[in-house]
Order: sequence, then C-alpha cells, then structure tokens
Amino acid sequence: MRLPVPTARGLALQRDLRALLGEASASCDPADLWASSRDCWPRALLWTRAGIAPHPPDLVCWPANVEEVARVVRYAAEHEVAVVPFGGGSGVCGGTVPVRGGIALDLKRLAGAPLLDLAARTVEVEAGLNGQRLEELLNESGATLGHFPANLYSSTVGGWLATRSAGHSSSRYGKVEDLVLSLEAVDGTGQILRTVEGPSTGPDLTQLLVGSEGTLAVITRAKLRCWPKPPAHWLRGVRFPSLEKGLKALRLLQRAGLRPSVARLSDPIDALLAGRGLPGGSAESGALPLPLRFLVRAGQRESVRFLLRAPLLLNGVAESLPSFPLCILGFEGARAVEAEEEGAAALRLCARAGGVDLGPAPGERWLTHRYQESHRAAPLFAAGAFVDTMEVATTWDRLLRLHAAVRNAVAPHAFVFAHFSHSYLEGCSIDFTFLGLAGRAASADQDEAALELEEAEARYDACWKAALSAAAAEGATLSHHHGIGMHKQIFLTREHGEGMRQLRALKRAFDPRGILNPGKLLL
Amino acid sequence: MNPLREDLLNTGAALVAELVGEGAPAGLAAGAASAQEGFRLTPPSVAALSRAVAVLRAHGVPLCVRGSGDAPVVPPLGGVVLDLCSLDRISSLDGETGLAHVEAGCSVNALETAARRSGATLGALLPSVRAGSVGAWLAGPTRGERGVPGARRETAALSVAAVLGDGKVAESRCAPRSACGPDLDHLALGGGGRLCVIALAWVRLFPASPALSSSWRSGGLPQALQAVARLCRERLAPARARLVGNRLALAWEGMETAPFDRERAARTLLAEGLVPVPDPETTLWVRGPPEGEVVEVDAQWEALARIAPLASELQLVGLHAGGSFAMLALPGCGTEICAQKARAAGAQVVAPRRLRDAGPSWAEQGAGAVWQRLVEALGVEISAQPGEEKR
Repeated sequence: MRLPVPTARGLALQRDLRALLGEASASCDPADLWASSRDCWPRALLWTRAGIAPHPPDLVCWPANVEEVARVVRYAAEHEVAVVPFGGGSGVCGGTVPVRGGIALDLKRLAGAPLLDLAARTVEVEAGLNGQRLEELLNESGATLGHFPANLYSSTVGGWLATRSAGHSSSRYGKVEDLVLSLEAVDGTGQILRTVEGPSTGPDLTQLLVGSEGTLAVITRAKLRCWPKPPAHWLRGVRFPSLEKGLKALRLLQRAGLRPSVARLSDPIDALLAGRGLPGGSAESGALPLPLRFLVRAGQRESVRFLLRAPLLLNGVAESLPSFPLCILGFEGARAVEAEEEGAAALRLCARAGGVDLGPAPGERWLTHRYQESHRAAPLFAAGAFVDTMEVATTWDRLLRLHAAVRNAVAPHAFVFAHFSHSYLEGCSIDFTFLGLAGRAASADQDEAALELEEAEARYDACWKAALSAAAAEGATLSHHHGIGMHKQIFLTREHGEGMRQLRALKRAFDPRGILNPGKLLL
Repeated sequence: MNPLREDLLNTGAALVAELVGEGAPAGLAAGAASAQEGFRLTPPSVAALSRAVAVLRAHGVPLCVRGSGDAPVVPPLGGVVLDLCSLDRISSLDGETGLAHVEAGCSVNALETAARRSGATLGALLPSVRAGSVGAWLAGPTRGERGVPGARRETAALSVAAVLGDGKVAESRCAPRSACGPDLDHLALGGGGRLCVIALAWVRLFPASPALSSSWRSGGLPQALQAVARLCRERLAPARARLVGNRLALAWEGMETAPFDRERAARTLLAEGLVPVPDPETTLWVRGPPEGEVVEVDAQWEALARIAPLASELQLVGLHAGGSFAMLALPGCGTEICAQKARAAGAQVVAPRRLRDAGPSWAEQGAGAVWQRLVEALGVEISAQPGEEKR
C-alpha cells in the first residue's frame, strides 16, 4: 500500500488548525490521510486492492463540538479550502472521498451522551455517535430508534442524515428523514443553523439539509423520534409462487395499514443464495448447488473468477434452478398478542396473494445473519471479484418491470440478484446485488494489481452504467438510501432535470464559497 | 399597448384587467396601463402557466396564486393574481396503487370526490385545506401533510412539478422515497409560491375504509387531550379526535388496523381514567362541524396543552407523536383573539389565511442570510407581498 505523502498545503493547514483547535485536533500523518481518503465505495475498495489512494485529503481534523466545526469552516471559507465531513466511512458511493483534497472533517469526537426524553419520544444526539452505540444506549433505557441499516456497526448518525439512510425496519419506523425532528448544522460560511421541531413557516429547512451529503452544511446534532423498545417479536417466512404475487402481498400489507418491522421479499436467486429458498436448507448446510456455493463462500478464488468470467451463463444457470420468492415478515408489539394479531392479519393477506406460511425458521435465520451479508464482500474482493448493491425505488405499478429491466441490463456484466425491503403505501425499493469480475486475486503482485485496476474499473463502470440506465428508463429514482456521492452523480441531471438548477441555487445559498464537499452531487 | 399586457397575452393565458377596489395596489410596476388596474391571469395549461411566470418575472412583477376553492385574493402590491382555476384536471387516479396525478388548481374537495369513487381517500384534513386547491394545500403552511399509520405525518405529495422563475418546470421523480440529494420538493412545499409555483402533483391516497369510533367521558378537555397525546405516543394515533367539554370521541381508519388500534387504545384510555360511553352517533359526531368561530392551528402537544384549559372545543386531525393539526374554539372569542392566544401558546396559525404568519421562519433558525441568498440565486421571490384574503 502506498500511503499518501503530506503536502505543503497540508502542513500549513496543520499548523493553522492546531493553533485554532489544539495540538491533537489535526494531523497530516500518512495513515490518517489514507483512512480518510475513501469510504466503502466498492470502486475505492478496488483502489485499495491496487494499493493506491488517488484522492487523499491534505489534512484530517477532529473538532470536539459545533463551535469548533464552525471555526474550521470559517477558516476554510476564508482560505478557500475544501471541507469534507467524515463520519464512519461506511458509505458506498464515495460521498466522503476528498476529490479536491482539503480538510477531512472527522466528526467522531461529536459523540456525547444522547439526551433521551422517552416520554416525549425524542432523543437528541451528536452527529459523530456510532449507530450501534446509540442503539445500545437507547436500549439500556428501554428505548429504540428503530433504525437498523446494514452498516449499523460502522456508521454514524451524521452519515445517516447526510445520505437519507434506511434500516430494515423502515416499513414500521420510517427512513431517517422520517425520524428526524430538527437539526443543528454549520453552513458554508460557518454560521450555526438550528432548525425547529414542529410547525414552522416556509420551506422545511430540516428536509432540505437531510440528504445533502455534506454539500450544503455540516450536520452536527439532531433530534430524532424514538420509541419504547418493543418486547414482543413475531417472525415468519412466506413462500410465494411468483415475484408478482409476492409484490402484491407487500402492497396489500401496506395498503391495509399494517406496519411490519421486517418485510423483505427476496427474488428466487437471492432466496437461493441465502439458503432461504431451499426447503429446510441454508447456504452453509450444503443444500446450495455447487457453483453458487463457490460464490457464497468465496473460499476458492480461481473458481470464483472462473464463474464470473461468464456472467450471462451464470445468471442463466441460477435462474433455471428450482427456487421461489420468499418474504421474511416481522411484527413487533408491546405485548406478544399484539405482534401475533398483526402477524395473523398479514398472513391472511399473504394467503390472498398465494403466499404459504413456512413458519418462523426462515425469519429467525435471517435475524441471526442479517448483518453478515455486508461483511461477505471482503473475501470476494480478495478473490478478484467486486460486489456492489444498487437500491432504487418506484411505485407499485412499475416494480416488476423495473426488476426485470435491471436484471436483463446487468446480466451480461455481472451476476445479479435482488430483494425488496423498504415498502410504503405507494411503492417499494429494490436492492440489487451485483457480483462481477474485477481481476486477479488480491494476493497477486501489487504493481500488477495496479495495472489491472483500469480494466476492473471499466468492468465495474459498465455494469453500473447498464444498471442505472435501465432504472432511469423505467422511471425509478436512482437511490433509495445510499445517496449519490461521486458514484451516481453522472446520472443526477437525468434524475432531477430542471431541478438541478434548484440544487445549484441551494448550494450558492448555503455554501457561497463552494467549500463544502466539492465534487459531489454535481456541485 | 402596455408591453406587459402584450407579453402576457402571448402566453395563451386569459387576461382580465379589473379594478380591485379600495386599498388595492396602486398599479403595476412595469408600465401599468392604469394606476387603478390589477390583472388576473388564467393560464389554460401548464405550458401557458410556465410562459406566464417567465413573463411576469422578466417584467419584475410580483404575483400571487389562487386555485379552485381558495379564498379570493387581491394582487400583491403592483402585481398579478395568477388564477389556476382552469388547471383543475385529474389526469389519472388509481385507487389500487393509491396515486393521483392532478393539476394544482384542482380543488381538494373535487380530488377527494374522485378518490372516493375509486375506493380511496385523502384522509382526514383540516376544513380549510379541504375547501381550497391542491396547490394551496401543498404550498401552504401544512405542506400537504396528513397523518399516516405509525403516529407519523408526511406530505401527501409524492412528487411535485413546479414552475421556476424563468418558466422552466422542475419535476421530481415519482418514487415513495429517494436519496438523491436534498428533497427538492421541499422548495415548493410550504413555500407559499415564493420560490416556485406548483403546477402539478402526484398525490398519495389511502384506501377508503369505514371508520371505527369510540366515545369517552373525561374529567375535562385538558385530561382528554393528555390521553389523546398518550395514544399518539403509543403509536395508536386516531385519524381524528373531537374534544368538547368532558366528551371525547375518536375515530380510526385502516382496513386491518382500526380494530386493533381501537381495542389497544381503550386500555390506555382506561388507564388514563377515562370512562367509555356507548354512543351510536359517535362516528357522525366526531366529524361534525365545530361550534362557534374557530381557528386552525398546527401545534405540538405542549402548545395544545396550554390552550386546552381555555378551549370549548378541539378537533384534531393529522395526529402524530409530536402534536396535531387542530380546529380550536375558545368561548366568547372571535377568531383574532383565538389566533392570538393560540400563537401565544406556541401554535402556528394555519387558517384563516389572513391571520397566518407571513414569512418564512428561516431567520429564527439562523438561516436568514441563507434565505436571502436562496432568493437571489433562484431569482424567484415571486410573491413580494403575499396577497391578502378578501374579507
């Protein structure tokens, strides 16, 4: 790994910011620069695999409170230095890659004890607090946020808000934009904004800052809705004869007013890979057909790369295997009978769509392994593959077409499967997973790996271009909860059309010097 | 001919010059034909609306917007009333998927009638919202919000098409949620037409289902309000509630969930010391018109609790864990005094329109300079002075 070298500008910034905030608050150490040079964007993981960090910051800075954040931003505005807010670094779109160098503003020191008012169902929390830690602290007081993104262990509250994050219980509790009541943030001039909870006149300032990915303001604190932690849970797996029927069931649940804590419909291949589409089986139990077992376990690197050389064939084989769409359904309640009542009502609606109750086992299996899927990517990268996910959303009437269109578009480039996991009254999101060939295994010579990077990036880009083009053509929104970052911004004009002018106006209003996270959202 | 008038006629919109009476604006800013003349402009299509907005901005003429059912307005000082009554079409409505595509001038009542025919509904709304246009609802102080299951509130607009100052139309994707940067619809929602004019919207509809109601006796309105707030904090928010003296009526909607919610709420209400009262008329009574002069407010529970001891009646819709929309009547008080007291308690006045807070509250949130820069950047603070409701 070639670590970044401190720049003259970085050393000058270090001198000034240490004078401003204290000796330990800023660093040009190569390891610190490297750690803030990327997030978990798979393309950045390809950089790491090739041993390079093409976009390091000049300096990493750790402010301790909102006043220090404001001081840093004012300094940066005065000196026209880019400021890139950094939380857990677990984003998957390159949202925190400092493409123009500058200051990586690491907010993890903004992690004071949350202020919980359970009677009012609110918690006030600083932006740098780790998501899992927040949930643990809430649980200790009998509360929950109900926000469980796949990167819960490695993400921060600020990161959630900056990207409009969603967790697996979003159908019950909402996405993070549904949970946020008010915000504290620092705009590009160093002005501290404190949005109001409750009624206010004019456009909703909170909702204009949520999802702005650090381009309009640095979010430093938020008041969020929280709830008593429900003691009772109900989980089931329901098998459907087709994806169409499964989607009908999800729609019926939502339209009936039911709010499941989990409603995750896997397409047949996703169900197969997770072992949930196999009668009584799991991927680990050996019930999975051999070629797919290689991909799930990623143990035999040559086999993985061999399979991914012919993605069209691999997709065809997977489609021909016997499997079925499977929905994991969950309900919660203050009493067991409440969760059971709603679960029973949900099963009745599922039965109307041809769903067959498989009992609690598939649900419990999902619950045990729900965070592991994100961590299965590392061995696949090491084996010479890339793994990525695309989460798009649309209305009920377009979902099935969207699923087919993206699958068909991606199939020549990568192995592809999907699940539907965030449903609403009007529609649902689809999370596609792509598994493609990146190059040789990570154990290969570093120089060779660097040479292969270009080719790997080209394959990765081709896969994404095909996927996003298909999604846009079907009228889907390009992101449901990962955000845009560097990754999807070339499609942003297609997403917003004339709205891009509104977005640029917002940028000029909040950040007139253009210092906040430049190079993201086409800003 | 007046160049403004000529340009406006070229937009394809119907142009009515009219005397607007005493206290009306002195005249149009850019070469008014007559010092006493104000314009009412009626675009027949979104394209004509776009052209009209562009012309008005090019001439630096402020405007205010009115749709079907909205209270009559006079033009802002030296400006024009943009009348969207011709933009009242519902181009599609699907009760099964719960979506309607509608022009901004359509009245909310007309949309509700069409939705009901398809087995859907907009849900429980404030009377002023129901009487006005879709555009006024979305751009107004409630931002098109209504209560949704889970004791939350969200806007009814799934997607908005808004005319910007130069006449271009910005339309968001029709998706239930998105993470493609800030939610740009929020420049239109609650914006009062200052940054853009809402032309079209995809509106979310609920399945229509019969309401299940229950009736209770409390120790008085404050106690009943406290019990209702607790229901909301237990995720059992009813679709509507009516509190008069010691009488409380609640109604839940939701095909599968209403029976659960009503039964669970009963346990909470009993624990709060309320007494069930069998009343076959409850379903009607809970929807009945409030007695006396009312103001409509948006308030947190704390603010409503401060008002409750003074109130003779409270009707609540759009209930959520943090608060509710309320129709509020105070005994012996006219609307002005009622609004004053509500404001003093911390509530935001929604209706009557003439009593609303006028400007955006960004300055109070530390974003006054941001607002000024936003207006400068978008160049479309269309309504320099909001139109006054005719009395």
